[in-house]
Amino acid sequence: MARLNDSGQWIVMMGFIVSIAIFLLALVVAESAIVGKTTSESVLEFPKTDIQDLRSELMEMRWDKIETSEYQYDIVNLSLERKSSVIWYQPDLTGEVPVINIHYNNGITEYNEVYAEYF
Amino acid sequence: MNDSGQLYTIEGVAAAIMMVITAYLVISSASIFTPQEKHVAQMQLEQLGHDALVVMDTPRENGMQSYLAEFISSYNATGFNQTYYTLVNQRTDGTFDTLKYNVTYYYWDGNDIKSEVLVPEDYYRENAVKVTQWAYVDSLDKVVLVEVLLWRD
Repeated sequence: MARLNDSGQWIVMMGFIVSIAIFLLALVVAESAIVGKTTSESVLEFPKTDIQDLRSELMEMRWDKIETSEYQYDIVNLSLERKSSVIWYQPDLTGEVPVINIHYNNGITEYNEVYAEYF
Repeated sequence: MNDSGQLYTIEGVAAAIMMVITAYLVISSASIFTPQEKHVAQMQLEQLGHDALVVMDTPRENGMQSYLAEFISSYNATGFNQTYYTLVNQRTDGTFDTLKYNVTYYYWDGNDIKSEVLVPEDYYRENAVKVTQWAYVDSLDKVVLVEVLLWRD
């Protein structure tokens, strides 16, 4: 009686193992594409530079212009009209520790800071 | 000749090639930059444009205006172009990139927002980003908002 030829079993098993390995690695590839997308999307959405710019402008105005309401109207109105964000700041420089309250809100991100000067 | 091992060898080589190709694909795309994703390019463009504006907005010395404020104060588009164009377009190998931009600044005149075009450049709906910077301008005695629309041509 002819004996069953089972020499192909190794090849079939190796085929399965390799294909499963490729499938798992493909999952990693797909994941990495999403990482790049969501990271850059959240970077674009987060107004990091807007807040930095506002702070740096206020620090620049700190010594002579920050208490002038005309400049405050400039900043508040421009940011409302051009950047759809609500900005308010309130300097209180008379106390022992000079303080500037800074508020920023663009509907997605809200930022509040009490900037105090300790020299 | 006993050639019963040949099939195993072929299968082994085929599997090895497949695994090497897959490993190469994984390693080359596992970094944050995925070229097919336009958001990444956009993010880099925004960062570059804003950084260049920050460089220009830095006062040169105590009590002096920044280049940005000075160019707007004197409505000097040539000066702005010389500085900004070089900052955003310079490549490490000395050649120039193909970024284009137009510049408008906005100010509050007491009743309304007014705009003034500093650098005009025709924009045909390329994939652009907008970067902005505050600047105090002497000649207007106002805080203005400088907007730069930046795109790759």
